[in-house]
Formats: sequence, C-alpha cells, structure tokens
Amino acid sequence: MHTAEPIEKVEGPSKVTEIRRFRVFRYKRGDAESHYDEFDVPVGPRASVLDALRWIEVHRDPTLAIRHSCFHASCGTCGLRVNGREGLGCVTFVRDLGTTITVEPEANIPILADLVLDMREFYARFPEQHPVMRASEFLPRAVPPDGMDGYERFEDCIECGLCLSACPIAATTDEYVGPAALAAAQRLVEEPRGADTVDILRWADQPDAVWRCHAAFECTEACPAGVYPAERIMDMRGVLVEGGPRRRAPVRTAAHEGARP
Amino acid sequence: MNRDGRDLRAERGPVLRKGVGVSPSGWFDPRGRTIGGWAFAVNRITGLGLVFYLYLHLAVLSLLLGGADAWNDFLRIATTTVFLLLDVLLVFGLLYHGLNGVRVALIGTGLVPGRERALFWAGTVIGTIALIAAGLHILGDA
Amino acid sequence: MASDARDAHVLIVGGGGTGGALAHDLTLRGVRVTLVERGEFTSGTTGRHHGLLHSGARYAVGDKESAVECIEENMILRRIAPGSFEENDGLFVAVTDEDMAYHDDFVRSCKECGIPVQELRPDEALRLEPLLNPELKAAVRVPDATMDAMRMPLRFFATAQYNGAELFNYMEVVDLILSNGGVGGAMVHDRVTNEQRQIRADITINATGPWSERIAAMASVDVPIRPSPGVLLALRGRLCNMVVNRMHRSGDGDIVVPQRALSIVGTSSWTVEDPDDLDVPDDHIEKMYEEGAKLIPAVRQAGFRAAWSAARPLIGSRGDADTGRELSRTFKTFDHAETDGVEGFVTITGGKATTLRGMAQLCADVVCRKLGIDAECRTRDTILLPHTAFYAATR
Repeated sequence: MHTAEPIEKVEGPSKVTEIRRFRVFRYKRGDAESHYDEFDVPVGPRASVLDALRWIEVHRDPTLAIRHSCFHASCGTCGLRVNGREGLGCVTFVRDLGTTITVEPEANIPILADLVLDMREFYARFPEQHPVMRASEFLPRAVPPDGMDGYERFEDCIECGLCLSACPIAATTDEYVGPAALAAAQRLVEEPRGADTVDILRWADQPDAVWRCHAAFECTEACPAGVYPAERIMDMRGVLVEGGPRRRAPVRTAAHEGARP
Repeated sequence: MNRDGRDLRAERGPVLRKGVGVSPSGWFDPRGRTIGGWAFAVNRITGLGLVFYLYLHLAVLSLLLGGADAWNDFLRIATTTVFLLLDVLLVFGLLYHGLNGVRVALIGTGLVPGRERALFWAGTVIGTIALIAAGLHILGDA
Repeated sequence: MASDARDAHVLIVGGGGTGGALAHDLTLRGVRVTLVERGEFTSGTTGRHHGLLHSGARYAVGDKESAVECIEENMILRRIAPGSFEENDGLFVAVTDEDMAYHDDFVRSCKECGIPVQELRPDEALRLEPLLNPELKAAVRVPDATMDAMRMPLRFFATAQYNGAELFNYMEVVDLILSNGGVGGAMVHDRVTNEQRQIRADITINATGPWSERIAAMASVDVPIRPSPGVLLALRGRLCNMVVNRMHRSGDGDIVVPQRALSIVGTSSWTVEDPDDLDVPDDHIEKMYEEGAKLIPAVRQAGFRAAWSAARPLIGSRGDADTGRELSRTFKTFDHAETDGVEGFVTITGGKATTLRGMAQLCADVVCRKLGIDAECRTRDTILLPHTAFYAATR
C-alpha cells in the first residue's frame, strides 16, 4: 500500500519527435573486414545514443552486439566513439549531435564484435594493485556516526577505456600502459590503504609508463568520471622527480568540479 | 563458435586505430581531437619541420665552402618573396614549438598545475604578436 | 541422471546477478556449468539498480520474510565480497506527521527482524548528513550500504570462471531443445561470430529475470512473472554519504543512494508486457525530483546526469496488481517437472540484488537434488575474487 499518490499507469513508448540516421560499425569474428550499417531510428527529446542502439537491437537487428549495464555513467561499459569523439553512450544525447550519427567502438583495444571490446588488454595494463575505495571527500563538514572513522566511497574511475581510446600515444603503440593505469597508480600513491607505494612507483618509473605521456590531455577531456588522468600523470612525475609522495594535495579531483559532461 | 576448427572467440580481434592505418601514424588523426590534442600534434609537426630545417640549414651553410660566388648565388634566392615567406613560416615553427614546449614543461613539472588551456591561449597571444612583428620585419624590408 | 557432480552439465540462461551467483554456487559443488547471456553480464536488470545493499528495513513492517532474507544476505555479502561496499550505513528519515506515525512500528519491526537500528534526533541526523531536509522530525540509522551494481556481481562471475565455469556473453538462446517431454539444452546464437549451435545439458536453469516468461514459453511453460519497471534519476554531486530513505511503508522516489560523484534518486513502479521496450516517462522523472527533494532539498538544484528505467521481476499471478508493488519481492524456484511435467528445466526468479547469493543457494539445492548430487553449498564462506580477475588474460 502506498502512502504517496500513485502515478498513472504508463502505456506505449515515449514521445517520438524525429527520425535520425545512425551509421553503426559492424564486425563479426571471421569477417574479412568491418563495414557500416545504416538505420533510421525514431528518437524522443531525451534519447541517448545508447537508447537508439537498443532500439536498433530490439526492433531492427537482434544480432547487434552492444555493451551496457547501468544506464547512468557508473559502470563504464558503454564507452563508444560517436562522430569520432569519445563518450559514454548512455549520457551522449542525440539532440546534441548532427544529422547522421556515426557510432564506432573505442580505439586501441581489441574488438570482440560490433561495438563491443574485449577488455582483457585494458585491464592487463593496470598495476597488480588496483584501487577500489577512497575516503569520501564530499561534504567535509559531515561527521560520521559512532563506530566509523570516516565515510568512504568508490574510486572515480569506472574503467571505461575512453581515456585510452583518446590518447594519441596509445594509438601508436600497445606498450604504453596508458592514462587509466597511470591514474590508478597515482591514486594508490596518494591514498595507499595498505598498498606498496614503492612497488607502484617502480612500476611507473619506466619509459613506457609515466614518461611516455606527451601531455596532449585528450584523456582528461574524454574522461566522464572526473579522474583527470593527465593531471594524475603529472602529479606522479612530480613524485618521482622529488623522490617521494608530495605533501600538498593533488590537483583537481572530482570534489572540485564534479563529474564532467 | 568454431569455423574450420578455429575457436573464433578465442582469437584476438582487430583493433580500431586512429591514423592512416599504420601504427606509428596514430597520433596524426584529427578526428575527435580537442585543444590539447591539437597542441600536441602541431608540436610534433613543427618539431619534425624544425629538424628538417636544421639539416637544410647546414647544407646551405656548406655553400660557404664554395667561396663568395656560391654564397652570393644563394643570397639572391634567399631574398625572393617566396623565400621570405618561408622564413616567416620558420619563425612560426620556432615560436610555436618553443612556447608550447615551455607550456608542457611548466605543466609536466607541476610548476603550473592544471592550467594547460590557459597556458595554450596565453602562448597563442604572445606567439601571434611575436609572429606579426617578425613578419613585418622580414617582409617589410623586402 | 548423473550422481557424480562432475558428470552433470548445467546450462544457466541469463547472466544477471542471479545467474552469476548460481554459476559460482554450482561450480563450487563440482558441477560443470555453462552460462549464456545475450548481452553484457548484468545488462538486463541487475546493472541498472541504484546500488543499494539492503538492510531490509524497508520491508520490516510489511514483508518480514523479505526483511529477514535481506539482513542475512547483507551480512554475508560484506564478508564474502570485502571491499565492494561503501559501508556508510543508511538513514530512514521521517519528514511528515504521517511518517512519525509509522516510526515506532518501524523500529519495533526492524528489531523483530534482527536489523540493528539506532534512533536519532534531528540535530544528530543533520550532523551525519548536513544536506538532509532541516525540517526532519526523526531519523533511524540502519545497516544499509552501497555497492557498484555491476562490479559486485561480477565477482561471482570471476570466481566461477576461475573455478572452471564457462561463461559466454553475447550468446542468445533462440530456442530450447525439447526431447522426451523435457528440456535437453538450448539452441544459441553467438553474436560474436554470427553462428548458431546447440548446447546440451542435463538441467537448464532459466535465470532471465523479467524475461523469464519468454524463455519459459520456449518449453510451453508459464511462469507468473510480471516485469515491473521503475524510473531512476542520476544527479550530479554526491549529496549524501549514507543511503537516505523515507520513513514510510513504500512509495515512489523514497530513496537517495550515493554513487561515486553522483546521487541516485529512485524509484517508481508500473507493469509492462515487454521488458525490452521500457519507457522513461517525464512525470515519473518529475516525481523523483519532488520526492527526493523532501529528503534532501539540494536534489532540486542538482544537475541532471541521466534518467532510465529498470524492470524488476516480480512474482505473482497474471491479473494481479497493476502497480507491481503489491506483488511479493521474495524469490522462488520453479521446478517445472513438478509444476508442469517438464523435466530438466528450472526457473529461478523474483528477489532483489541484495539476495543474489541466497537465491542461488535455494536454486542450486533444487538442481542438485534433481541431479542426485549430494553436495553442500559453500558460498556463505567462500571469499570472492576481485572483479578485475574476470578480465585476467589467462582463462
């Protein structure tokens, strides 16, 4: 039994306001090469690229392989390149895009099929120790209840791979560990929680690790979760040059600016 | 899952690369690029250009070994308008590469953290003024 | 039928939390497991929820069975999946006089269900969560927690895979294989290679959540599942660290859950026929803003990140309840040999994200009994591998 007013029962699809053309990258294992399929998709005012891809899967082509899970930029599984630009499909809105929308998988990681990547090579670049939790920096005036030293939360990185896709150096070589791995390593240096920071810094102090970056900052531009990988890489260089973790706070965390668009 | 006995799923799939198909060109692809990416790409291009220029310059200087006549022949070419315009291009390359280099150094060492865009625009302003001044000086006397 | 676990082959259809937990449970019992999921694991319903690890307090008054299931599984999950929860606890907040009338019943019922509670004055609550509605009348602290809706279940998949289960995403069941009045496996379409093949199994488990009816229909069997979607809203900014719930029986927009640098407000409820065609109605989104703001006024000004729908699988019979809330939230295993005379086919459905391990245990018990396998459940005490292990290069 509700105490709140029940909302009216819902019938039918959301209001459709227009038809948009989508060019979708297709590739199945065993194909000689990839190709693009075109679909005309009915979309409403709030439709995302992921909504459109789901419509294609359900109403036009059930063989289309797309990757998604949370629909709200928390799981990082729907990373795509839309009109050449990296972004999460669930929060890339059709109304912000042009007449024809080209959808491709992320770059620099092997493709499983269609728009789906085989993420094993992404995770393989990370150091052994993988940061998952951090102290929650939000609402600093909040006092946690008895029995708790502080509030904790998940690390910002949602492991979407958009940074690696955007990186011009990652485009030239698979040896570069990449922004996500380096940002993760620097987070462990900033907040070890029992991790071996000496080991982490040794891992980072390699030609194909922290020194391979050329400061293009495309990774920070692409990141949907406020990780600021380029800034983390620069912080880590500072750590290595100064011979140990710095005392001052790292630059521009999610606390300062919130999640990026 | 098996075609001709191969486990297709277990094979490594193709990788989408930016660039012109060859791996080392991946940095060159302009699609989806933002300010920082352009700054990096143009830095590379000007760097390559300046290296090329350096060798060219050494080759030109070696004309001095050929005596006054060889050098004077060269000077005649060197004062044509086309050549002077190339000189302006050279100045652009030097200014861009130098100023962006300073920018990257300031960010990379953490001396000016988190201000890569502001530094880019500041460098653009300084560089444009310097380029105009140099251009007027080079072409003005032509 | 095999009586040695290693000879038995079980096919699990559906790669949500339940399927993953089942693959893990059965693999630990020595059974050979194949799991097929038509999309990415948790892409159906599991990955879309707000991430709440239930204390069960929401059900303490109206559905004690559910509440007890929740608090037990809550404690087990914290033990077997350490590091996968923001263990910041939760608050139930009374905002109106009506809420206050519910307060004493709520506290007493929680205690009866074994859910630890702590009563708080408004000023105490505001110290814990400064952005709460300053007009709140009372608050109760409960052992809620926050999980990553995809990564926590992925640990079950990682562990099952490590122990030998074969897990295939992008493999869709297009038909069940019927022989001798029973189900002998499934015909699958592989979206990676665009090829079809048969997977034969002694028992096929339907763990497809709101799609349960679609798979059951392939065996001409009916399961009483109503897909019941609800709208959720993600806002920019972490407005709370604890889970914030409205202290009332049940209603729309009565929870705010932190997720990294976002705040999720949920949810609503209606019923549909097709879980693949979910609407995200504007008036439901507006309701989330309205109700969420009663708990945390800053919800009103917070920037919009996303709005989406997720379909819960609710158990009931056809013709029951239009809104879905009245249907039971407990989970059930249907052995179709008993209910419909169809051998080799079992459906597990209902439940919620918090109870995935418990659901899997119940179903695995049924399946092992059918197979004549005598093997105890070991999932209560087996620590799960981290989610990153799922992507380990060596498989």
